Amino acid sequence: MKNRLRVLRAERNWSQADLAERLEVSRQSVNAIETGKYDPSLPLAFKLARLFGTTIEGIFEEEL
Amino acid sequence: MICSIKNPAQRRYVIRMWVAAGLCILFAAAAALTFRLSHPRGFFAYLAATLPALPILGALFYTGVYLTEETDEFQRNLLVQSLLGGIGGILALETVWGNLEDLAHAPHLDLIWVYPLFYLFVLISYGLVWLRYR
Repeated sequence: MKNRLRVLRAERNWSQADLAERLEVSRQSVNAIETGKYDPSLPLAFKLARLFGTTIEGIFEEEL
Repeated sequence: MICSIKNPAQRRYVIRMWVAAGLCILFAAAAALTFRLSHPRGFFAYLAATLPALPILGALFYTGVYLTEETDEFQRNLLVQSLLGGIGGILALETVWGNLEDLAHAPHLDLIWVYPLFYLFVLISYGLVWLRYR
């Protein structure tokens, strides 16, 4: 699944570690999600959406 | 090393595994000493022989506890995949070796090696899974 995490993070000048701390997950988790190697669960996706003040669709996009 | 682990669930898991490993060595020594000095029979022999396996059962139990305590779903996913790799690896090895023993008269592999080999496969799987998400 494609995502805009890197862009959203850069807009706020957050490092992966900053985002990981806000999400209460490891930096490896953020990296795996950001690079599209791991798709987060719905609760984590909602948490991300809330954190960036957007919707899940505003962050993630299905690869067709 | 343990103090550097930031994740509380992982820290508890590592501490519990070290305690289990220590108890396993202690209980194995106690069981060996019991058999050497008092030659127990029947129920007591079974009891003394089971003693070193108890910390291993505890380690398996606390691996399950870790999976329920870990709040980072990605880390949980890493361990679940590694455990599946470990289970698959030991099942494959035992199946192949069992056939080798039966048919080709390969040397006997004691069941006592199942858990250490399982953990070896878990470690190998963990490395491979980690590389995949790097």
